[in-house]
Amino acid sequence: MALLEIDAIHVFYDNIEALKGVTFSVDTKQIVTLVGANGAGKSTTLRAISGILHPRSGDIRLDGESLSGVAPHEIAALGLMQVPEGRRIFARLTVEENLAMGAFRRRDRQAVAEDKERMMTLFPRLRERQKQVAGTLSGGEQQMVATARALMGRPRVLLMDEPSMGLSPVMVENVFETIRTINEQGVTVLLVEQNALLALSIADYAYVMESGQIVLTGRGKDLLDDEKVQRAYLG
Amino acid sequence: MSVLSHTASAHHPVAEPSPFRRPVKIGLIFGAIAVYIAVVGILPLIDARWIVVDVVSLGDAALIAIGLGAGAAVARRRAPTSSGLAPLAAQALLAGAIAGGMLAFLVIAMSLLDLRPIFIALSPMLLETLTFGLGVPLGSVILIVSGAVLGVLGAALSLGPVTIRRPILIGLSFVLVFGVFQELIQIMMQFGELIGDLRETLYTWEGLSLTGAAIIFVLSAGGAYLWTKSLRTQFHDRMAGLSPAQQAHVRTAKIIIGVLLVVLFPILAGPYIGQVMMLVGLYVLMGMGLNLEVGLAGLLDLGFVAFFAVGAYTTALLTADSPHALAAWTAIPSVSYWVAMPIAVFCSVIVGILFGIPVLGVRGDYLAVATMGLGEIVRVIVQSDMAAPLLAGAQGILQIPKPKIGSLELSDPVSLFYLTLVSSAIAAYFAWRLENSRLGRAWMAVRDDEDVAQALGINLVKVKLLAYGLGAAFAGLAGSIFAVMLTSIYPSSFQLLISINVLALIIVGGMGSLPGVVVGAIALVGLPELLREFGEYRYLFYGAALIIMMRIKPEGLWPSVTRQRELRAAAGELEEEEEAQELGAGVETPSFATQGLEK
Repeated sequence: MALLEIDAIHVFYDNIEALKGVTFSVDTKQIVTLVGANGAGKSTTLRAISGILHPRSGDIRLDGESLSGVAPHEIAALGLMQVPEGRRIFARLTVEENLAMGAFRRRDRQAVAEDKERMMTLFPRLRERQKQVAGTLSGGEQQMVATARALMGRPRVLLMDEPSMGLSPVMVENVFETIRTINEQGVTVLLVEQNALLALSIADYAYVMESGQIVLTGRGKDLLDDEKVQRAYLG
Repeated sequence: MSVLSHTASAHHPVAEPSPFRRPVKIGLIFGAIAVYIAVVGILPLIDARWIVVDVVSLGDAALIAIGLGAGAAVARRRAPTSSGLAPLAAQALLAGAIAGGMLAFLVIAMSLLDLRPIFIALSPMLLETLTFGLGVPLGSVILIVSGAVLGVLGAALSLGPVTIRRPILIGLSFVLVFGVFQELIQIMMQFGELIGDLRETLYTWEGLSLTGAAIIFVLSAGGAYLWTKSLRTQFHDRMAGLSPAQQAHVRTAKIIIGVLLVVLFPILAGPYIGQVMMLVGLYVLMGMGLNLEVGLAGLLDLGFVAFFAVGAYTTALLTADSPHALAAWTAIPSVSYWVAMPIAVFCSVIVGILFGIPVLGVRGDYLAVATMGLGEIVRVIVQSDMAAPLLAGAQGILQIPKPKIGSLELSDPVSLFYLTLVSSAIAAYFAWRLENSRLGRAWMAVRDDEDVAQALGINLVKVKLLAYGLGAAFAGLAGSIFAVMLTSIYPSSFQLLISINVLALIIVGGMGSLPGVVVGAIALVGLPELLREFGEYRYLFYGAALIIMMRIKPEGLWPSVTRQRELRAAAGELEEEEEAQELGAGVETPSFATQGLEK
């Protein structure tokens, strides 16, 4: 049984069907990516998983338990932590305080302190800037804060929405490097990304979305070599 | 008014990139202020108040301040490239002269046209005052010349070394305060022969004497001079020389002195000041409550007065000696104030939570409108005939007894002030603890980004309802005290304006800042009470104060740490962008990238 299962969900915005029966799954300790053009339904899928949108039919299960009817903050508490699109860090809080927010639901202070230390090792840049107001950081550093903030919640699945958005090419590579590192340390990642080339290159398994449906599935490397994918997404 | 400034601005060339553009603009702005206060009638009003008897009135002071201000603004905002004092002096002169010129223009317009049907304040007497009784032509010239002189003085003052500038400003402020508040100060100086003699030296019966003003100026300016010049460094040196424990003692001593001042002040200053301080205290209580909602949780609330009303009405219904009191027609016995107060707070919390439910999903501007509606609903219900059998309708509930401690009745303003002070202190402690609690952090997260807060596991419903409920508790406590202060309450006491006042005071004080609430309440509630003859213009000053604050000090008079950071952060981002533009993108990124990859 997969850790996270998305089972034939249909999501509507009023009467417009945004997701037309999306099915996929994320196995433990994998990097799974959802790629596709703008408007394909990637972010809608993520919002459905995090409980903000409710599928009209179909089911989402974490560890076999249905998430339907579970409030968004409870879904977070169950271990689905997000790195939102556009980072959305708390700009006027310090780096440290941002990380503390990620651990909001946790009561195990000792372990939280250890995790914070781990984040500082993972992102040495953030150690230097612990006391700095997050809004003053560069885009790449803010991405680190958003990632570290989500990791502070000890996610069972880390949901990353367009982490490369708005970053310079060098920084983008760095972000993907980080994702791989996090994954090697045992974190399951669901990555939603427009930058198909990079996403496919690090993904264990990938799903290609188009107009609210999954049109292709396969191992990341295989899709990277797929002719159709190359033509459609990699130019 | 607008006609006047338009005509005046037509005089200056439009697209001239000269160094005189800014001074002209500043002169026009300050001149417009002067014309404005004359036209709406503030000037004649404040002109009636002496600062120094027969020498300077508050009106004169305002005009002088405008002239000095124009010069100072020119000096402060001069372009960094401009060099030399002579051009600057010319610019300041120009700004001052234009400001004075606009007044002169008003004077000429007044003498030629009959403006009184439109602007009732433009009386012949004002014309007389503005022209120094010398007739329009000469008076106008004097206005322009004195404006120019003041402009230069203002610029000189603002560029002068701090050891000179600060004492002069402090000296002038002291004279201003002693002059404007002469009645109150004279009352305070009534007992003791020695103090009595001092009073007679400083004051005549209607204000400061010239000697008095001179003494106050010399003493305060001299003190400030010594302090800036040497005492301050000495003091800091000595403080640095102390052990941490001793430093802590000094801090405690300072706090004790501060508390003693607040506690003893109303006794010294008399019941009127006590009354004003009590009112300030009530607004501080409400401000702290609204601050939880708006400042911390970011939930705009214009119906806050509803909770204040609930606190007041609960107290009244439980304690009053009236046919509408619960004791008069139910089995519920009449209780003492000390029992009623916690019940009132509790009821406010309940109403606060109920109030929050319908607006849970509402955000931003809509929230302001929705809460305003809810607040009005509460007032209208209380006022309605339908609820009249229960709540007495427009007649109000009368004969609410004053609280008693043993046999001591807290009936005079000063003892009620102490009740307010103790309540505020306890409430402030709670507010402070809340701010630094888990809940406080959750509020801040919700304020900054609701969706992300939710995605991090924060229960929006719970957290928001707690903000409304706990915020309401403070207002309920204030309402409870309000009821016993007045001993009778009417629905008309709970107008929308109270909500707006409370919101204004936390904005002026600094959103999300506890000390800011106190500062804001003193500035917006205390000062207008003390300057009661300006009551008519109270909301004009509110509006002006809000606009000026937003322009000059948007973070408030005493901002909270995060708020300061935010503004600094905004400035920082700007710098970063500029840097990026200058250096080209990617200068900083490689260093980061290598660092990231090292791990």
